[in-house]
Amino acid sequence: MSENIERRRFLKCLGASSLIIAPLGCSSIEEESDANKPHYVMVFDQNKCTGCGECKDACNVTNNLPDGKSRMIMEQQSGGVAGETCPHCGKKNCDCERKYVRVSCQQCKNAPCVTVCPTGAAHRDEKTGIVTMDASKCAGCKYCIGACPYDARFINKETDVADNCDFCLNTKLSKGELPACVQQCRYDALIFGDANDPTSYVSKLLRVKDSVRIKPGFGTEPSLRYIPIVKLGV
Amino acid sequence: MDGTIDFTMGLSQGIAWPWPIAVYLFFAGISGGALATAIFIRFYKKQTENTAFYKAAAIISFVTISLGMLCLVLDLTNPLFFWRILVYYNLNSVMSIGVIALTAYIPLTAIIALLALEDELRAIPALKVLMPVIEKLKAVRKPMEVMVLILALSVCAYTGFLISALIRFPIINTSVLPALFIASGISAGAASAKMLAVSLFKEDLHSQDMKLLHGAEWPIMFAEAMFIFMIATSLMTGNAGAQSAFAAFHTGEWANVFWFGVIGIGFAGPLLLNFATSKSFSHSAKAFYASGVCAVTGMMCLRLFILYAGQNFAI
Ligand code: SF4
Ligand code: SF4
Repeated sequence: MSENIERRRFLKCLGASSLIIAPLGCSSIEEESDANKPHYVMVFDQNKCTGCGECKDACNVTNNLPDGKSRMIMEQQSGGVAGETCPHCGKKNCDCERKYVRVSCQQCKNAPCVTVCPTGAAHRDEKTGIVTMDASKCAGCKYCIGACPYDARFINKETDVADNCDFCLNTKLSKGELPACVQQCRYDALIFGDANDPTSYVSKLLRVKDSVRIKPGFGTEPSLRYIPIVKLGV
Repeated sequence: MDGTIDFTMGLSQGIAWPWPIAVYLFFAGISGGALATAIFIRFYKKQTENTAFYKAAAIISFVTISLGMLCLVLDLTNPLFFWRILVYYNLNSVMSIGVIALTAYIPLTAIIALLALEDELRAIPALKVLMPVIEKLKAVRKPMEVMVLILALSVCAYTGFLISALIRFPIINTSVLPALFIASGISAGAASAKMLAVSLFKEDLHSQDMKLLHGAEWPIMFAEAMFIFMIATSLMTGNAGAQSAFAAFHTGEWANVFWFGVIGIGFAGPLLLNFATSKSFSHSAKAFYASGVCAVTGMMCLRLFILYAGQNFAI
């Protein structure tokens, strides 16, 4: 990734030297290493998820999204559902174990969507460090959608602006509640909390459980963790 | 735990940036390339008059960048939100820096066009009001030209930086892309300005300017080919993700666009027209226009290929 950093530095010099209109109050690069700030993480336990999809519905209702649209989807990775072919073995009827995975914004610590957004609409909330949207600034250029390595952003057809999962920052968290999907999950497949707080349940869980992050190679440092089903012989 | 979990579906369906963006990249490249070439020649040969090539380049650069902007605005999910890009800035964003460059570049191209077409405008009585303005602007012509030369090259390069910031597409996320876009912008921009200079401003096919341009054409084309070769080899020899993206060069419809459009029409076309035909044909107006059209078509195909094949082969 050093290439990208070089490029960014180069562009910054280029931008600074070719500035004709110096816009005041432009955002600076986010440096977040202070441990006092919270670092909200979500853990998805694949062993517990049954694929019921109620989390999706809860998200849709809570965040006032267009009908049937949520800020997340469940991808079925294996296992037969009546009438559908199994994505793992390709058969209509199979004995593969059902596996689902939650696809949503990974809440990157080093978020490409925030870096590329020309207007600062995709930004990091100051207090919580959560990547969220200022819908009133979004120009709908879709740069963030192309830049997100997780394909976790979409255009909200009702508002014409980009959207992403922000852990229900403005709908639940601000009221001191857990994100809607976490509240809804009947099987405790979703765990949410502050990883910088050593006494929180998530930090304890992450200390003892192996978890993985998706596509860590992009260097985006996602805050979503996954506990995969690991079984020999599958 | 490698590969225990991953997802292939995403929330956004299809590709984020469709063809209007490719057309925008194309227009921006032509605009910057044409103007940069014309001003470079003007400085290099210390010209003071408005040459046919300069006039043609000025018109082309202003018209293409305006059309490009139109594409850009129409591709927004809601074109009425365009003002937001002009009002809010994020200097970490390549797009934002590009917008700043364009807000200076577009008015400057308009002024350059006014100055270049002074005589033509004078002939139209209705435009008399413009004359005092043109006279005033003449005083700062030189610094404006220096500025617009830098901006024109920046605009070409910026279109490359703009898309190379998309990290999940190995074909797009390469550091030679800006250089490739400058080279191909210059060759297509110069080609289109040459054609307009000959057709509209009656430039002689074998004038001094044309000879100079003709001599520069092949090295630039060679540079372009080298950059494309670099991208292809780095993908072929790169990590697994890059290697899978290399398939874009030999499978699918975009591979056809690459081989027929970019290589066939863009590179082989002008080469064959110039070197594989009789001297009398290769010096004719027909060959001149044909190879110009080839260069421009090849460049458009290159933008389409990079954008579509690039977004289709994500990691
Ligand atoms: S997952 Fe995508 S949308 Fe979410 S923070 Fe990372 S880059 Fe941004
Ligand atoms: S679509 Fe909106 S949020 Fe995304 S980069 Fe463009 S302006 Fe920013």
